[in-house]
Amino acid sequence: MTEDLSIGNNNFILHPSGALFWVEEKTLLVADVHIGKTAHFRKHGIAVPTNVSLENFTKLNRLIQFFKPEKIWFLGDLFHSTLNNEWHLFENWVLQQNAAITLVIGNHDIIAPTLFKKLGITIVAEIRTVEFLFTHHPETHATLFNFCGHIHPGYKLRGLGKQLLKLPCFAKKGNQLILPAFGDFTGNYYLTKSEADAIYACTEEAIFHIKTHS
Amino acid sequence: MPKKQDISYHQKVTDWFQQQGWQPFPFQEKTWKSVAKGKNGLLNAPTGSGKTYALWIGFVLKYLQQHPEVFTKPEKGLKVIWVTPLRALAAEIQQTTQRFCNAMEIPFTVGLRTGDTSTAERSKQKKQMPDLLITTPESLHLLLASKNYPKLFKSLEGIVIDEWHELLGSKRGVQTELALSRLKTICPTMLIWGISATIGNLEQAMEVLLGTNNSYLTNSVLIKSNIKKKIRVSSIIPEQMERFPWRGHLGLHLLEEIIPIIKSSKTSLIFTNTRSQCELWYQAILEAHPEFAGEIAMHHGSIHKETRLWVEGAIRNESLKAVVCTSSLDLGVDFAPVETIIQIGGPKGVARFLQRAGRSNHQPGKESIIYFLPTHAIELIEASALQQAVKTTTVEDRIPYLLSFDVLVQYLITLAVSDGFHPDDIFKEVQTTFCFQALSETQWLWVLNFITKGSQTLQNYDEYQKVTIEENGTYKVNNRGIAMRHRLSIGTIVSDAILKVKYVKGPGIGTIEEWFVSKLKPGDVFTFAGRNLELFQIKNMQVLVKKSKSKNAKVPSWMGGRMSFSSQMSTLLREELYKANHPNRSREIKALSHLFNKQKQESIVPEADQFLIETFKTREGYHTLFYPFEGRFVHEAMGSLLAYRISLLQPITFSIAFNDYGFELLSDQEISIQEVLDNDLFTARFVTDDLQKSLNATEMARRKFRDIAVIAGLVFQGYPNKLLKSKHLQSSSQLLFNVFKDFEPDNLLYQQAYRETFEHTLEEGRLIQAMERISNQQIVHKQCSKPTPFSFPIITDRLREKLSSEKVEDRIKRMLMQLEKD
Repeated sequence: MTEDLSIGNNNFILHPSGALFWVEEKTLLVADVHIGKTAHFRKHGIAVPTNVSLENFTKLNRLIQFFKPEKIWFLGDLFHSTLNNEWHLFENWVLQQNAAITLVIGNHDIIAPTLFKKLGITIVAEIRTVEFLFTHHPETHATLFNFCGHIHPGYKLRGLGKQLLKLPCFAKKGNQLILPAFGDFTGNYYLTKSEADAIYACTEEAIFHIKTHS
Repeated sequence: MPKKQDISYHQKVTDWFQQQGWQPFPFQEKTWKSVAKGKNGLLNAPTGSGKTYALWIGFVLKYLQQHPEVFTKPEKGLKVIWVTPLRALAAEIQQTTQRFCNAMEIPFTVGLRTGDTSTAERSKQKKQMPDLLITTPESLHLLLASKNYPKLFKSLEGIVIDEWHELLGSKRGVQTELALSRLKTICPTMLIWGISATIGNLEQAMEVLLGTNNSYLTNSVLIKSNIKKKIRVSSIIPEQMERFPWRGHLGLHLLEEIIPIIKSSKTSLIFTNTRSQCELWYQAILEAHPEFAGEIAMHHGSIHKETRLWVEGAIRNESLKAVVCTSSLDLGVDFAPVETIIQIGGPKGVARFLQRAGRSNHQPGKESIIYFLPTHAIELIEASALQQAVKTTTVEDRIPYLLSFDVLVQYLITLAVSDGFHPDDIFKEVQTTFCFQALSETQWLWVLNFITKGSQTLQNYDEYQKVTIEENGTYKVNNRGIAMRHRLSIGTIVSDAILKVKYVKGPGIGTIEEWFVSKLKPGDVFTFAGRNLELFQIKNMQVLVKKSKSKNAKVPSWMGGRMSFSSQMSTLLREELYKANHPNRSREIKALSHLFNKQKQESIVPEADQFLIETFKTREGYHTLFYPFEGRFVHEAMGSLLAYRISLLQPITFSIAFNDYGFELLSDQEISIQEVLDNDLFTARFVTDDLQKSLNATEMARRKFRDIAVIAGLVFQGYPNKLLKSKHLQSSSQLLFNVFKDFEPDNLLYQQAYRETFEHTLEEGRLIQAMERISNQQIVHKQCSKPTPFSFPIITDRLREKLSSEKVEDRIKRMLMQLEKD
């Protein structure tokens, strides 16, 4: 159900949920969760039952049980808007975690960094290692391989009998891998074939490697 | 014996009629008498027949008889309410009724109260109601939402529901029923009258109006005007049928055929089925015949009100040669100068067609001609069926809604917003309506619980706890914010967010649905109200545009354009089609012989006892076509039902397309027709169960639920200047739907979404009848080498439903394998 990907001497596991696990560093990578989008709706007159906002945390917990990470890195847009009720759900969730949590700031993350720091979360603009660059917005770098989110990549798969499946995906192009949005409440940007060298499309249960250049 | 006074009033009316050069019709006299006797009733009369005078004069005469002092000592206060479905008609009724009062020197005032009425005028009315109030169902409910409302109605003598056939088959009908149930208690002496065009179920229409099992119904009369119009249908048949396309919906290739018709008559109305078709025809006529500039106009529901009124005026004073229009000109307003009607494309229903045909030549006894212009070849069968319809005067039923809990929730909050209500009193009233005659005590308690506590899954949210129960047992809304939001959302018409189209510097041009504009970028050019406009920017719910000279413009397509054959229409259509192989054929069917011959090369033209299935393979996959000729809604249901049943035999994925003639199941795998027949997949048993399980029913119910959620106040559409984006509305109602589906499946509003889907969209009753009919037919399976003329319009339709019993993962694997092969 997962897909392995090695970059240089490092091994990564692509998970159908849209998360990525870095084996050597025992690090779980997640992009664009957009927590609080439901509460954001509610503030504008649309009430969304709480069960829906709990879904993100349930999904995260399942991943943590599966990979047992030592570190969790959020690649931006963890929160959708300003402080709201779901912040408390998030606080509770953070208190239960053993892994060290880092947030790479995204364009939607407008909550004061001090609040995150109080919870023991590290806030950074980007993370650099010897071989890799972890950011929210996609960046091109001459030597470093870039992991990022932001664009919510998706892919439309067409088949006989007018079949069309729209799937969120990991998109790899050159020395860059873009993660799909982790949150349920997010739209996708559908890539054309020329926009990626390889597509890893996610269903509920599996990952499919689609080669775009032959 | 009537009193002397009485006779003289009647005489005065007849004199006035004579001065106008009229003579009262027997149905008018009969209505006057029935009202005088204190009867309730339904008047069946077409537009332009004097129906307004039939009832208004009836009520005035009755009032004069009882209050002869009115000329010297007039008593103020509301006497009659006139409910009309269309705001546009209100002004016309006001003129007609006021004109009569003025001529008779009766000091009555006629007032309007609709969504267009100014706040100043409203508060003036609150202090002093006019004698006759013309209003809409929504505005009537708004009156029920105002403090001390019973005082407004205390002197009410009667209420008239105009165009009742229009309201009957919609939730606005339910809204009207509920308002009437309240008024019956407040003013027990009030008479209730409806006016309806001819529909199949007139008797039922009267029962719905007056309520079940009560004295109103026993003391009532159904009056038919019996004004028969002679109508002739003339089909426009192209000379070269070989070149006539097999599909399409615009019909522009026959444009030249209608030019001589327009030129030879005083004023023509050209009816199109959609607003985009209307725009295209208008442009095309002007392009091909610039000499018409200034002499033709366009009329559809999105065009600015002033422009529409101008067009209507211009028709009346004969300054226009032709108007391209949509159903926006179906109703009401009487246009005497109209000589000719041209219908472009199938009108899908007999009643609609007859109503349009009746728009021309209002002089009694004169024959009305309606020209039918087919947009593709098979539509000629429709033309032939319409000929029959006119001969036999078959018309459709309007099916009233039952147990619309969303409307009930809205109504109860309306009452709670004004003076509050006691459940026991209101329960009894509500049960007398046709819609809620079967309302159980349990359901009633659920609704009460819903408005006070929210439902099971929503009770943590204070925004759903709208109504408070006070110590004395009154249900009341005490929160001013909730009350205000509720007043803003009274009504049952839910549409996409609508944006105003306006020149950057200059006047407004009309309105357009948000979803079309959202596809445009600034700089894009689109056609609207007959002009090419360039999008400048979208700001504050306004679309700012500039004039453009560009030739490449997009034409907005408005949602809701797809209609389905009524059951009457499809029966007639089948009868016409079955004549194709026989000598006694109509002119239209004869014209189709080229197409029928082509059809017979690969397949057959079915006879009455045959049911045709065609299969063939193209590079798109395996096509299987079924031809029940039952209308697109039934085909949509039958398509997903059959797809579901086949998908139980093998894991398979279908794309389903349908039109009014048949439906297609397309797949990347072959279906065995033998297996379909061996397993009796056409059985009418377990239809409800199977439909519910086929995923499409859930999808359809989900779409229905959006309206229900808005009507019941679960989602708020927003303030007038700050409407919610329909995208947001959609997602929030979908969320609620999912939550109910997973956690609260016994929620009455959730269940209502399914009930409406089955009863109104999928027309389950018709579906079962159709399947029973098919089970008595002989199944003819034709394996064809290429698409047939019958199949062509279906297989090329891009609007499709999907159904799959395969795991997504398996589908992807096969798709990827296929990709590698290519």
